Amino acid sequence: MKPPLLSLVDVNKYFGDVHVLKDISFTIEQGEFLTLLGPSGCGKTTLLRCIAGLESVHSGDILLHGRSIKGIVPNKRNVNTVFQNYALFPHLNVYDNIAYGPRVKKSMTETELTDRVRDVLDLVQMLGYEKRMPHQLSGGQRQRIAIARALINEPAILLLDEPLGALDLKLRKHMQTELAHLQKKTGTTFVYVTHDQDEALNMSDRIVVIDQGKVQQLGSPRDIYNNPSNLFVTTFIGDRNIMQVSVVETGETHAKVRLGENVVSIRKPKQHSLQAGEDAILAIHMDKMRVSCEETANALRGVVSSIHYAGSQIRIELKVDEKTITVVEYQKTECECNEGDSVFVVWEDHGAILLPLEEAWIERGV
Amino acid sequence: MKLKTSKFGAFYLSLFFVVLYLPVLSVILYSFNASPSTAQWTGFTLDWYRELFRDRVIVESFKVSIEVALLTALLSAIMGTASAVISMWVTDGMKKAIQGMMVLPLLVPEIALGIALLIFFNSINLPFGHLTLVLSHSLFCVPYVYIMVQLRLKEIDRSILESARDLGATTWQVIETVILPLVTPSIITASLLALAMSLDDVIISTYMSGAKTTTLPVHIFSMMRVGVTPKVNALCTLILVGTFFIVGLSQLTKKQNKEAV
Amino acid sequence: MQTLKRNILAVPIVVWIGLLVGVPLLFVFVLSFLSRDSLGNIVVQFTLENYQRVFDPIYLRVFLNSLLLALLTGILTLVVGYPVAYITSNLEPKKRALSIGLIMLPFWISSLLRTYGWMILLGNAGIINNVLRALGVIDAPLSMMYKFSTTLIGTAYMLVPFMIVAIFNSVDKLDRSLLEASYDLGANKRQTFFNITLPLTIPGIAGGFTLVFIPALGLFYVSDLLGGGNTIFLGNLINTQVTRGRNRPLAAAFSMAMIVVAILVISLYGRVAKDDREGLFQ
Repeated sequence: MKPPLLSLVDVNKYFGDVHVLKDISFTIEQGEFLTLLGPSGCGKTTLLRCIAGLESVHSGDILLHGRSIKGIVPNKRNVNTVFQNYALFPHLNVYDNIAYGPRVKKSMTETELTDRVRDVLDLVQMLGYEKRMPHQLSGGQRQRIAIARALINEPAILLLDEPLGALDLKLRKHMQTELAHLQKKTGTTFVYVTHDQDEALNMSDRIVVIDQGKVQQLGSPRDIYNNPSNLFVTTFIGDRNIMQVSVVETGETHAKVRLGENVVSIRKPKQHSLQAGEDAILAIHMDKMRVSCEETANALRGVVSSIHYAGSQIRIELKVDEKTITVVEYQKTECECNEGDSVFVVWEDHGAILLPLEEAWIERGV
Repeated sequence: MKLKTSKFGAFYLSLFFVVLYLPVLSVILYSFNASPSTAQWTGFTLDWYRELFRDRVIVESFKVSIEVALLTALLSAIMGTASAVISMWVTDGMKKAIQGMMVLPLLVPEIALGIALLIFFNSINLPFGHLTLVLSHSLFCVPYVYIMVQLRLKEIDRSILESARDLGATTWQVIETVILPLVTPSIITASLLALAMSLDDVIISTYMSGAKTTTLPVHIFSMMRVGVTPKVNALCTLILVGTFFIVGLSQLTKKQNKEAV
Repeated sequence: MQTLKRNILAVPIVVWIGLLVGVPLLFVFVLSFLSRDSLGNIVVQFTLENYQRVFDPIYLRVFLNSLLLALLTGILTLVVGYPVAYITSNLEPKKRALSIGLIMLPFWISSLLRTYGWMILLGNAGIINNVLRALGVIDAPLSMMYKFSTTLIGTAYMLVPFMIVAIFNSVDKLDRSLLEASYDLGANKRQTFFNITLPLTIPGIAGGFTLVFIPALGLFYVSDLLGGGNTIFLGNLINTQVTRGRNRPLAAAFSMAMIVVAILVISLYGRVAKDDREGLFQ
């Protein structure tokens, strides 16, 4: 059996007394777009730097093609990094920046190099910029050159450290699409670090959610979004209404729960078992909810406390059994309600999930 | 990736500092040598220090040096601070002119500046002495005060000044109540540096000294030309102690400055 | 009117320094074209003789000696100082602060004392000879004083902190991620140093070189005390012409020559530094 492209095995890393990476283990497959997602300071960049060889690991192992690369210095590893600030060499023009890798490794003749530089520039749509100096380029252009400079080395893995962080929102959206295309076109394995969940959800094949140096969840964007496995992922990904409920009865896929006088049926998580009579957590995406004027099955009864119009979206706050719930709608079609109206809140089935009640939930005052 | 300092690096750095301080330490060490020659160590003595205070020329030139240095530091503090503060209000062209004037004395080789001043003062019949010394020393001291005060001024948030104006302060009141208190630590540090530079100057002082007003470094230089004598060692050691006292003071004000910010 | 009012306070400052620097330099310039009589008094009569004498073989030799001394001082301080600056910027914070302190401290120590220290070390009865003799390495004292190399060591020693500070500022400003990018792209430490670190710190080197070269032209007390007048440098020559030779027009001509060299070096630095500003404007 072929070993996975990259395996992380119980990787641990300390900065002084601070334990920044805790028993990190997962594998990366050939050709995938994998994102390390987490808040700043969670250890995702450190993990990336460990893969690049720019940081050493204290225990555990990193295997590339099944062979340990732990003791291998960064310049001998077949992985390349696109740095957060691009790190283009300011004294070299675009051509020399891109040619830097092959030249120091003496892996090509100058004629081959000319062709290869042209190829990668074509790939990032920057042909004709060879003679420009980095300071003559815009942020987005520098970004492309940084990618081209890494890709020319044909790395087994391309590591990208928040590469879109410095760009404005519009360009960021554009570059997201472009990066995803580029990844498919080259077939290069991308490991992408970001704190931006939209970026991660848009581009990735798989996402590794990291918090406090630990892997919280690993899965497809859809899976991560709809089936969060714990408190952190539930609160970090998407905006959700979170309520404590009590389980009335459990079925195969769904469970009936009670919130105040409402009894509703909610999707049950695969990985957790719930028993009738115990308390649980109900989490529903705000944008998967809708306000209905008429009484419907499987709905929560509430009173509108405020309505805010914010651009294309409408935020409606309601009181449901003493709890405040926020509903985000994009078009007001169904129910023209006003403050003080008594209404019903319904939701798309996959937008709601039940989770077991953990200590941490109570500590957070849910 | 951390670039760890290699063993060789640490060794090189240590070796460099040994060479950097060996001459200084040798001077101090041999100021306590009973023998007048460095050829042998014949025991500890403080005689050379005693002899210093009996040497009238040394005491006199020391007095001149201190007077000149204090006046230079004072003049430089006033001129340098005024230049930096005034620079905040003038037009850009004038600002450039001030900056140009400030770097000029630092770019001209010191000996050329010394000769130029000698010829100039000579031709306008200015008597050589305290006045010429202070004027010439202030030339290379004012720029340092100017630069240090300006660096501090750059750190000050412009909105603080605007809000002071907004609250009704006149320009002069803004300077007096906001700017000066904020830059005072820098002025003190820079003045102490000016003091030390004036006390240390040999080249310009050689040309600026009068018949009866020789500065200490100029006198020490003439003593050194004769050769090695422990009296010079003792004198140098005392000066070193004096300068370190000044360094200590400047570090102290720097620290207080940092705490205040 | 408004701008005039704003600028008026600055006028005295500009005039004051202009008067004390600009006018004297103008005097030197004029004087360098004047003659003197047999008693050494200045005679207002235009001549180019002073400048002709600058190119007189004897004086040209002095001029070249000084240029050579300044150049070698620049090279020596660069070779010795670059590693010091480089190593210091990579030290952990506490050691780094200590190292910076030790580099800066000599600025406060009397330059005469520091020169004198070398007299004590290198003299025939000096410490180095004593130690070597006590160890039995040598029988007769090594003659280390009053040579060109002695002056070079003294001058370089006096000025090396300037070089280190200039290079340190440049090395320290260097973006660490550029070095990481270089390793990441396959370069080893040596390649990274020569391809990235060194080219990017050239402005610092140029700055340090300027700061060292110009004073090295005129530190006459170092060459006097350590060189013992065996090799004559520009500084000594000007100094003797003014204090003893009473040939001020000649001294003025040599001062002008020195200023011209200084201006050349500074403008050369200006060029390098200008490229730098563009390059660093990311």
